[in-house]
Amino acid sequence: MWGVVHTGFGSWDALAWILFFGIAAFFLLWFRSLGRSDYKKGTDQDEIFWSSNVVPEDGAHISVPADAAYWGFRKGMEPFYKGLVGMHTGLAPDIVGWYVVVVAIMSVLILIV
Amino acid sequence: MNLAKYLEILPKSLWVTTCNSGSCNGCDIEIVATISPRYDIERLGMKLVGTPRHADVLVVTGPVTKFMTEKLRRIYHQMPDPKVVVVVGNCGASGDVFYKSYNLDGPVDRIIPVDVYVHGCPPRPEAIIEGVAKAVLKLENLKASLEAKEEAVS
Repeated sequence: MWGVVHTGFGSWDALAWILFFGIAAFFLLWFRSLGRSDYKKGTDQDEIFWSSNVVPEDGAHISVPADAAYWGFRKGMEPFYKGLVGMHTGLAPDIVGWYVVVVAIMSVLILIV
Repeated sequence: MNLAKYLEILPKSLWVTTCNSGSCNGCDIEIVATISPRYDIERLGMKLVGTPRHADVLVVTGPVTKFMTEKLRRIYHQMPDPKVVVVVGNCGASGDVFYKSYNLDGPVDRIIPVDVYVHGCPPRPEAIIEGVAKAVLKLENLKASLEAKEEAVS
């Protein structure tokens, strides 16, 4: 369990990782202990800075979902996606049917070209 | 809070945050000029930070519109102690030409305590740097008065 595992590309040593996390935890706790603990608890000093607004209670209003990064892409491709969503029934036979049709068309195109 | 300890190290490197409480942006442009290479406040140990949680000095511009009153108060209360407030521009100091406007709660000193006023419309970057330097003096005076109190007690 505690031995070194050689993968052919490198090695995995559990003890080395435990040592690493131990050292990292030491520095983390040390840096944390340098922080100020004399702030006024229970006041605004204790609150999240939310661009000077009241912090919303619902976390969904604070966080930006990861898929927001694709918003422009989705917006630009909206007509294409709308067509696809319209064709999508969610039924396996329909999906296989589309697969067969697309493969057939591509095969014909390949043979012609 | 060990105020004396923080006053000893603070004046050497003030971190400044800004709040536009309804300014026309003229003063804000001058504040931005202070961090440009020509004026470069970082050579004096000061720098702009994006959150009041890390700031020692609050620089306020604008006459404080009703919309900004609570936000300004919240920013002030979120700053750790000891802190200094510097008002930049005539609007923040007195309301200037807007002083009778229906949508003002300001000037700034009606909302939060102000330590230094920098007048001008807008003030030049040199004046803003001088204002923050006076904030340093204010902190040093506070430190001296604390030390005097400690001596009197002992």
